[in-house]
Amino acid sequence: MRFKIKKDHYGYFFIAPFVIGFLVFGLYPIYNTFQLSFTDTTLMSRTAEFVGMKNYTRLFADDFFMKAVKNTWLLWILNFIPQIGIAMLLSVWFTSTRLRIKGVGAWRAIFYLPNLLMPAAVARLYFGFFDFYGPVNQLLVQTGVIPEAMHFLQEVVFARGLVVFIQWWMWFGQTIIIVMAGMTAIPIHLYEAAMVDGATSLQMFMRITLPLLKPILIYIFVTSLVGGMQMFDIPYMLTDGRGSPLSSIMTNSLQMYMKFASSKGHIGAASSVGVLVFIMTTIFALGIFYFLRERN
Amino acid sequence: MKKKLLFIVSLLMVATLVLTACGGATEEPAVEEPAAVVEEVVEEEAEAEEEAMAEKTVLNVWSFTNEIRTMAIAFEARYPDVDVVYTMIPMTDGEYQTKIKAAIGTADVPDVVALEAAFVKEWVEADFLADLNELLPLADELKTFPAVVQVGTHDGIAKGFSYQSTPGGFFYRRSIATECFGTDDPAAVQALVADMDKFVEAAATIKECSGGDYYMIGTPGAMFNPFLGNRAQPWIVDDTLVIDPMIEAYVDFAKVMRDNEYESQATQWSEGWFAGMSDTLVDADGVSKKIFSYFLPTWGLPYVLLPNSGDTGGDWGLIDGPLAYQWGGTWVGAMADSPNLEVAKDFIAFVALDEENLTNWATGVYTNEYLAAIDPEVPEDQAQGPGDFVSSQVVVEKITSTFDGSELYEWLGGINNYNAFGEAAKKVNGTLMTGSDDAIQRALQDPLNSYLLGDITKAEMWQIWFDSVRNEFPDLLIPDAPAD
Repeated sequence: MRFKIKKDHYGYFFIAPFVIGFLVFGLYPIYNTFQLSFTDTTLMSRTAEFVGMKNYTRLFADDFFMKAVKNTWLLWILNFIPQIGIAMLLSVWFTSTRLRIKGVGAWRAIFYLPNLLMPAAVARLYFGFFDFYGPVNQLLVQTGVIPEAMHFLQEVVFARGLVVFIQWWMWFGQTIIIVMAGMTAIPIHLYEAAMVDGATSLQMFMRITLPLLKPILIYIFVTSLVGGMQMFDIPYMLTDGRGSPLSSIMTNSLQMYMKFASSKGHIGAASSVGVLVFIMTTIFALGIFYFLRERN
Repeated sequence: MKKKLLFIVSLLMVATLVLTACGGATEEPAVEEPAAVVEEVVEEEAEAEEEAMAEKTVLNVWSFTNEIRTMAIAFEARYPDVDVVYTMIPMTDGEYQTKIKAAIGTADVPDVVALEAAFVKEWVEADFLADLNELLPLADELKTFPAVVQVGTHDGIAKGFSYQSTPGGFFYRRSIATECFGTDDPAAVQALVADMDKFVEAAATIKECSGGDYYMIGTPGAMFNPFLGNRAQPWIVDDTLVIDPMIEAYVDFAKVMRDNEYESQATQWSEGWFAGMSDTLVDADGVSKKIFSYFLPTWGLPYVLLPNSGDTGGDWGLIDGPLAYQWGGTWVGAMADSPNLEVAKDFIAFVALDEENLTNWATGVYTNEYLAAIDPEVPEDQAQGPGDFVSSQVVVEKITSTFDGSELYEWLGGINNYNAFGEAAKKVNGTLMTGSDDAIQRALQDPLNSYLLGDITKAEMWQIWFDSVRNEFPDLLIPDAPAD
């Protein structure tokens, strides 16, 4: 008997590479991380023991972990709101048939540019600007804005603000591209019909654009949440790599890295942070899906 | 049902993003441009060599600078049947440390690794480095400074040796000394800063004499190593964090320096700190400021101070300063899993415990011509200039006089740097270093800065620091933080 492949099952072959890749590089690392988080594994010792929930109870023994959770959420929310807000506003303008802005492609490219820079270079650039003997201090003191030089990056509010700004500056161009793609996909005749009926710009935005943009917004929301919960490079590079000043920009990923990079490489303890961030992100992503689901 | 399945799959994908990115961030080294270029060149060359001389024993050496590469080339001249494949990985943000940890137990594990002072103890205390006790007689013969051997030894087993000894010194500006103290004579200046109380008095004199335009030091951070080097006990005793009185003294000292404006507030390695070396420091008001002194070790002279000093050459003096200390240094160890352990030991003996090599290294014999004669493809800047301070007392005694009248001698206004450091090297205490030092010390800097600024109290500073240490060392017992 000859072996025959049913044509109905071709699809499985086509998705097989992804599924295999996902199982090996996606599911297994998750499983492994969970497993590691119950051990005292370090990179610098050959043996490891099962320690039960010890890594987790340690995380809650002081407020260090909760501080990191708080910082992560604060930094993400503060950069996400202006990011989505400004991206929406600019996208509405760029796609508006009334305004007919010229050179939309060029603007979009310019706004996207910061995203192409290496986060490390960006962080070092800002670090240099705001040094005690740096150009910002020179400018502000010599123009009389502040009486004497300041240690900007040792001020909690300023350091946080700078991280939020850099994150916003690097990512709003990306968001514009996605939002615009969503907006241009909305059939133009809907707007034409609305205009005939005498709708205002605000009404068209609220009644046509927003509802039809919902799938795109969910996508932006979730990817930004996932990215924000893992915020690492800018906070790491901007100050001492430990969330200085006063751990105010220490995010969960930074805390995890500190455990991983500390002398022995405590990957067991670091995994417990990863697992909690994973659970937290999953719950909130589920929440977004649930609250923004199609109700029909 | 299908929708549900889709939903679960998409959730899993989100989850994947979260966890895989967690791991990914650490493995993507923020490589500095020039370093990356060097690495590429080295690897290409290595490949070419591999083809031509397939029958040679290949020795894989990893380091974080290209210093040891100079000696690797010299090693190939003495051992023609060995081909050293040299890989440089920068350690700017810990890429190197991560890379060697990740290589343990894999086929990529190098034979020989260079280990910097900040993390050498982690490795010496763990069980991945080979036992090098058979090289100890060589160290005896060369009278290697005891502190150098101590650092590379754990529980009586030597696992790493160094070609350097890195005692620290106190570099000062002669013109400012003359202006404020009336003398620039090294012995007289040493008497003025002989201990910490006198040091603070001298700082007040400098401030008064210049109307606040001269600072005693760039940052109290520069004094951290001297205070650390004079503790009575290491950071960790019996798995418990120990705060030596010297640490409390350091905190108080830093506060005095800041509150009285005896320091420039330019943090170490920042542009302002370097600008002080070349006399080009300008504050935010546009007023020119000067920094009187820098605490730097042996390597700080040729690698930090000299290249950044602009045209201040000849205006510098070098003395012991208030406290004996050491700072930095590179140790060399062999991986226990190395398939070429005997050759690796030969390499370490050559690099750290060979009289001829150490003499050549310190006296500038390894010029470009010398190296090119062995390996024609050697890069232009591979030469090693004279002046690095070596670990062997035999070699130090032999070559000290050759530095009289040298370029460095003129630059220091007639001081033999080798002679000055030779005395300091004998006072260094090698028993204070532990594998956890780096992380513990780095954790203190941020709360200390906030305390110096007046944003938090001293008690809060201790508390934040202890919490931070606890976060990184799950196994460490941490006492209650001091109340003040």
